[in-house]
Amino acid sequence: MSETLTSRPSIAEADAHQPGAHIDHDTNTGISNTKLGMWLFLASECLLFGGLITTYLLYRRPLEGPGPHDVFDIPFTSVSSFVLLMSSLTMVLAVSAIERREHQRMRVWLGATALLGAVFIAGQIYEFTAFVREGLGFTTSRFSSAFYTLTGFHGVHVTIGIIMLVSLVLLSMRGKLPEHRSETVEIVGLYWHFVDVVWVVIFAVVYLIP
Amino acid sequence: MSSLTSHDDVPVSELDGAVKDYSRDKVYVYTAIFLAVITIVEVLTYAAPDFAIWADDLLIPVLMILMAVKFFTIAYIFMHLKFDKPILTRIFYTGLVLAVAVYIAVLFTFRLFTS
Repeated sequence: MSETLTSRPSIAEADAHQPGAHIDHDTNTGISNTKLGMWLFLASECLLFGGLITTYLLYRRPLEGPGPHDVFDIPFTSVSSFVLLMSSLTMVLAVSAIERREHQRMRVWLGATALLGAVFIAGQIYEFTAFVREGLGFTTSRFSSAFYTLTGFHGVHVTIGIIMLVSLVLLSMRGKLPEHRSETVEIVGLYWHFVDVVWVVIFAVVYLIP
Repeated sequence: MSSLTSHDDVPVSELDGAVKDYSRDKVYVYTAIFLAVITIVEVLTYAAPDFAIWADDLLIPVLMILMAVKFFTIAYIFMHLKFDKPILTRIFYTGLVLAVAVYIAVLFTFRLFTS
């Protein structure tokens, strides 16, 4: 399906008069195909993570080996959660920056987001290593398999997000991310925020609920 | 009506100065502060489990409410659902509601809530 930008308001123009107005595309929905595709992907991801969380809930009481509250370090995970939460702020500031044509600022915010994501992943690797040392391997129990699969899948998503963020920074440095392609940053941002919302659920359901 | 392909430059000359004074950044920062406060309250349920508001049977409902508030705040403000076209909200909620419904059914099938 071909897609064109018409002389209807651009992002900047629409934003100036109506906060939150987004650019209209010549598609049936008025939304770009890429963005629509990302939202459909995120809706399907709800089913993936829903399945993993449900499996964890079913198997959270181990028949053998250490249980959740024998190994979890809630203060440490709380700090990790806070780091990921703040990365959502830096991500949305990056989107805001490119909409205002501030490329240098956008690169700074994207870099900060990638860095915060990397800190989160480093924390997860540390946490997994500590759990294994305490005798909780992937195949120790049904609980451990469900836990590592759920949080591991999330970690892979964060890692893919970091790769996309670094790619955006590199593209921008080479001048291949002009204003009219700001939606690319927004779409990567959608993915990143989704990864954050999934962690909001995991943090409450897996770590905090006794 | 003339049209531009997505590869053309967006004409910005007529927009000079139009957006300089307008920014949603403050809203984003306030939202992040709000989310941080909720996270602190969540952690307090672990650090001070005997606090009256979430003592005993109230803990899980309180945590679920806090989680939902964080979830929808991020979706509405950071993911721009509040500002974007309603069809995107409907698409996302279709997946979300479908997932929640299916997996609640699974949990009932395995009698998680009764055992």
